[in-house]
Amino acid sequence: MSLHYTFPPAAGYPLNRCLYRLKSDDAFRERYLEDPEGTLRAAGLDAPRIAALRALDRGRLLALGAHAYLIFMAGLRLKMATAPQTFERF
Amino acid sequence: MPLVAAAALPHTPQLLVRPETEDRDMVLRVHAAYAEAKRGLAAVRPDVVCILGGDHIEGFFLTSVPALAVYVGSSVSGKFDRYRYTFPVHEPLARAILEQGVEQGFDLAYSQDLALDYAFYVPLHFVMPSPAVPIVPLYVNVYLPPQPTPARCYAWGRALRAILDARPERVALLASGGLSHFPGSDRYDSPDYDWDRQMLDTLAAGRGRETAALTGEELDKAGNVEFRTWITLLGAVGDARAKVICYEPSWHHGNAVVTWPVA
Repeated sequence: MSLHYTFPPAAGYPLNRCLYRLKSDDAFRERYLEDPEGTLRAAGLDAPRIAALRALDRGRLLALGAHAYLIFMAGLRLKMATAPQTFERF
Repeated sequence: MPLVAAAALPHTPQLLVRPETEDRDMVLRVHAAYAEAKRGLAAVRPDVVCILGGDHIEGFFLTSVPALAVYVGSSVSGKFDRYRYTFPVHEPLARAILEQGVEQGFDLAYSQDLALDYAFYVPLHFVMPSPAVPIVPLYVNVYLPPQPTPARCYAWGRALRAILDARPERVALLASGGLSHFPGSDRYDSPDYDWDRQMLDTLAAGRGRETAALTGEELDKAGNVEFRTWITLLGAVGDARAKVICYEPSWHHGNAVVTWPVA
C-alpha cells in the first residue's frame, strides 16, 4: 500500500507554500478570506491549483503534490477563522 | 543528576481548541490525565523540561528539513488561534545536548529562531508545573519523508539519556505525539486503535526496546509517524515498564498519556 505521508515533489512547492501560509501566516489567511482568487494568483498558483485549493479538494490537491497534513491544517485554520464561535477554548 | 521524570503526551489541537465534532467528555478525560501527569512532574521538581516533538511543518517548512534538531535560542514562541506562548529555553543544557550529541556522531541541526509548533505547546499548556521552568525543544522529523528510522531515534534517545544523566540539572523528558491518527488522509476517521493498544501493552510489559525494530512504513500504515518521538524517549528510558494513565480514542485519534519510572 502507498504511504499516507509522502515526499513532497518539487513541482508541488508553490501549492504547499500556499497551504503552509494559510495554516501559519495570519495576514496571508486574512487576505485569502477577503480575496481568495487574487491572493492565490499573486502567490503564483495557476487556475487548476487555485480551484483545487479553494474547494479544499483533497484528492486533487494530493495529485498536484500537496502534503496531506498541510491540506488538513489549512482547512482547520480556515474554519477556526471563519467560524470561531463553534470552538471551545481551554 | 539522573533524569527525574519521563512521560509521553498527546498534542492534538482539538484538546486545546475543541470543535463541535469533538466529544467533550473525552476531551475532559484527557485533561484529567494531563493533570495527573502534571502532578507527577511537579512532585519531582524539575529544573528544566526537555520535550521531544515532531514539527507540523511550522518551524521547519520545506526551506529546511532536519531529521533531528535542537533549539538553542534564549527563548521560543508560538501562536495558535488566540493563544500565544513564550518559553525561556535552558540554553546551557540545550548547548550541551547539541555539542555532545554531535560529538557522539548524531549530526544534529540547530536553530536559534523558529516558530514553536503546537506539538510542543499543547502538552506544555496542560502539564507545565507551576512555577514554570525553562524548556529545551528537541525536534524529530515525523511528517516530511524521509524521516529518521526508528532505530536511529532509539539510538539518539540512548545517547540523550547519557548526556542528561551527566548534567547537574534535574531534567524531565517528555515525548509529544500520537497515538494513531491520519490527518489529511482518507483514513482520518479510522485510526488503528488495535495497533495502539498492542503497543501500550508492549510498553507496559517493559519491552520498549522492541520499538527500535519497527520500520517507517509500519509507522505510517498505523497512523503513527509521530511515534518516533516516543521511540526516542524509549531509548532514554530503556525497558522501564510504562504506566498508562489513559488511552482515550476519539473518532480520529488515539490519545495516550503514559509515564515511565526513571529513578
